[in-house]
Amino acid sequence: METRFETIVIGGGVVGSGIAYHLSERYKGGVLVLDKKYPMTGTSGSTQAWVWVHNKTPSWYAEFNMYSAELYPYLSKKIGDVEYKRTGGLSPFFSEEDREKALKLAEAYRKIGIKIKVLSREEVLEKEPSMNPEVVGATYSSIDGNVNPFRLVDMYMRAAKKNGVHYSTYNKVTEIEKQDGKFTVVSDKETYLCKNLILAGGTWSRELGEMLGINIPVNQLRGQILVSEPLKPFLNHTISGLRQANNGEVLMGYSMEEKGFDRSTTLDVIQETANMALHYVPSLKKAKIVRAFSGIRAMPEDGYPIIGKVPGVENLYVAATHSGVTLSPLIGTLITELIMDGETSIPIDRYSISRFGVGVKG
Amino acid sequence: METDVLIIGAGPAGLAAALETASRGLAVILIDESSSLGGQLPQQTQLIRPLPAEYGPVRGFELAEKLINQLEDYPINYLLKHRVVGLYADGSVGITDEENVFPIKAKKMIVATGAAERAVAFPKWTMPGIMTIGAAQTLINRDFALPGNEAVIIGSSDFAMDVALQLKSVGVNVKGIVEEQPEVTARDNVKIERVQQSGVPIYLNAAIIEAKGNGEVSEVVIEHAGRVLTEKVDLVCVDGGRSPILDLFYQLGCSFGYQEKLGGWIPQYNSNFQTDRENAFLAGNAAGVTSQGAILLTGMIAGISVCENLQAISQDEAQQIRGSLLKELEILEDKDVWESRIHHIESYANPKLKDQFIS
Amino acid sequence: MDKSTIICRCEEISYEEIEEVIGNGARTFDDIKRLTRCGMGPCQAKICTSLVAKVIHAETGKPFHEIPLPRMRMPLSPIKLETLATSSTSFSTVKSVLDEVELEDGKVR
Repeated sequence: METRFETIVIGGGVVGSGIAYHLSERYKGGVLVLDKKYPMTGTSGSTQAWVWVHNKTPSWYAEFNMYSAELYPYLSKKIGDVEYKRTGGLSPFFSEEDREKALKLAEAYRKIGIKIKVLSREEVLEKEPSMNPEVVGATYSSIDGNVNPFRLVDMYMRAAKKNGVHYSTYNKVTEIEKQDGKFTVVSDKETYLCKNLILAGGTWSRELGEMLGINIPVNQLRGQILVSEPLKPFLNHTISGLRQANNGEVLMGYSMEEKGFDRSTTLDVIQETANMALHYVPSLKKAKIVRAFSGIRAMPEDGYPIIGKVPGVENLYVAATHSGVTLSPLIGTLITELIMDGETSIPIDRYSISRFGVGVKG
Repeated sequence: METDVLIIGAGPAGLAAALETASRGLAVILIDESSSLGGQLPQQTQLIRPLPAEYGPVRGFELAEKLINQLEDYPINYLLKHRVVGLYADGSVGITDEENVFPIKAKKMIVATGAAERAVAFPKWTMPGIMTIGAAQTLINRDFALPGNEAVIIGSSDFAMDVALQLKSVGVNVKGIVEEQPEVTARDNVKIERVQQSGVPIYLNAAIIEAKGNGEVSEVVIEHAGRVLTEKVDLVCVDGGRSPILDLFYQLGCSFGYQEKLGGWIPQYNSNFQTDRENAFLAGNAAGVTSQGAILLTGMIAGISVCENLQAISQDEAQQIRGSLLKELEILEDKDVWESRIHHIESYANPKLKDQFIS
Repeated sequence: MDKSTIICRCEEISYEEIEEVIGNGARTFDDIKRLTRCGMGPCQAKICTSLVAKVIHAETGKPFHEIPLPRMRMPLSPIKLETLATSSTSFSTVKSVLDEVELEDGKVR
């Protein structure tokens, strides 16, 4: 069994597998992806999977998301059909007071070249006839869309494997050490050695960081999502809170609870979500819900991604973020650039882990 | 809505538990998704034995009547055509009547949701005309509909024997019982003899290879003693055994153990029939697939334990009654099922599956 | 079992498809579900759970007590949105994306 790899990625979810794939396209050194269970056991397998740009603030962050969204069509060509749809995104509002917020948002975005429109009631209903006629307006962006997260991670994995990446699943990492310029990664099944180490542990990033004495401040934020039976296609856009998947299922939900790693659902939030869904699209009332699941978002302390080198530890990289689905093509590209070229094509200093005042102990 | 005891499932176990709790003054809500009480019993025409001393032997639907009539004098709140949707954050159970969803807050609950039949897969098993033995029984005895004319039964449990006889009694030509094992799995020799006497061939060491048909089943191909036989049929009844329905226990966060003889995965519970969620007790097939008599006894035990927990009877009295019920259960239940149950109760502290919602 | 046998009748997933993803490292029902959609249909795995366990057992040799249950969820059976909905208009945990946009001094933060 091979135990020496040039690069090891810990975490095979959308971020880890995205990195492994992008790296394997350019990199000829051996790559191993370790996952404590199987990819998609975590956040990547329990998400609405929007590829969402607009409403992200501040505008430099929206721009970051936009770059990633723009990589999707090419990604699909390369790894296969991930059911990516650039549906356009609508964020409806129901009171005139919100229009002011919407207009300010549009203005801020315009300054950096992201086009969002603030729609009138008539324009919203024209774009999305099923929207509640009481809607007052909406912000709209043509770049937003959604993807099938299961296809996405599966396609990343298959493409990476085709490029020679090894995966070892159901293999939890228990210890990491740096010695003589190499990392020793101890896991349930094996002890590995590598030159480059990429931490893509999602909600478990803190725990991984602790193995190296590094603070990776990622918290957990639960979201509950309802799934309907397959319905005839009728929702054209990704609406903040709902979208319709390729097979007709409508996914509904945009809730936030601090529950640590508890993935149960509660009727309280399920009913609130049903209320929201019917508030936006009243014609959904006869649709049956077949399942309510929950996912835990990996939420860095200040809400922004943590991407890049770990200062003070050579060849150590971290990638931890929420909106991993939206950002995975860009993160994959950036980490690859860091490893291959030593620098990135767009500045990522503001995403550095050093903003948390991290230092390596000892 | 609030109550002392919420009993989920009005089959024999739920009804038995309702008697123990309501007769001792506890406020009881009994809920069932069906429009009538009794669970599967009302459609069972066969004689049931052995039953606990005070009951037996009677036909299924007669037993149902007895169990229901016993409750006449008690102010039980029956919620028929109501089903459990899920749980609220505060532990209330979410119930729906198909109009709304509302919470029921109970001090204790007894989950008696029964067991479901398992599928048996072979090429083209999803064609119309292929169903479980339970489904065939429901069609005949509840819906008075003929499931087919020319049938083959896959499996040879006691239940399969019952259904073979029931099918014959309504004029279905049962062309054979196909059993993989070298012996029938049914235990009731009287039943087995009746089936043999009725002229239904029993093929042992036999397996179904595939079903054939265009839009619905028209033949089955069976392998028996090295030969391949084809039977023309329009009905295939499969017996895949049953396993406890776990959904509600899973949502409650109960942990689970595995016992093959009890139907597979079962919620962990102690000898009081209390799960590891303090306020949730269980009874009937949900606690392990077993015979009718045993089902009644588990309902009684769970009921007594809830009464003890809510101080409707003294600890001493509860232990005494429960002790004798457990003794009766040991006698009534098939030996290997009872042994599995003891083994399961003894491994209460070491569940095979737990913390299912912790990421 | 013949490899063409349907295992998940709701989504029409065959033994062969499940065998393929097990070959790709999938070990539990939920792994298989995410890769094939097995168990995502209207019955939400009620019918195929025991069949998939048999396939996992046949392909990996794992004993049944080591093959964990699929994750089960609410609602326990399908329910209409209008039945679930209440007349409440307050949302303590459910937000709109626009809610997250904060204004500071009249400008987007």
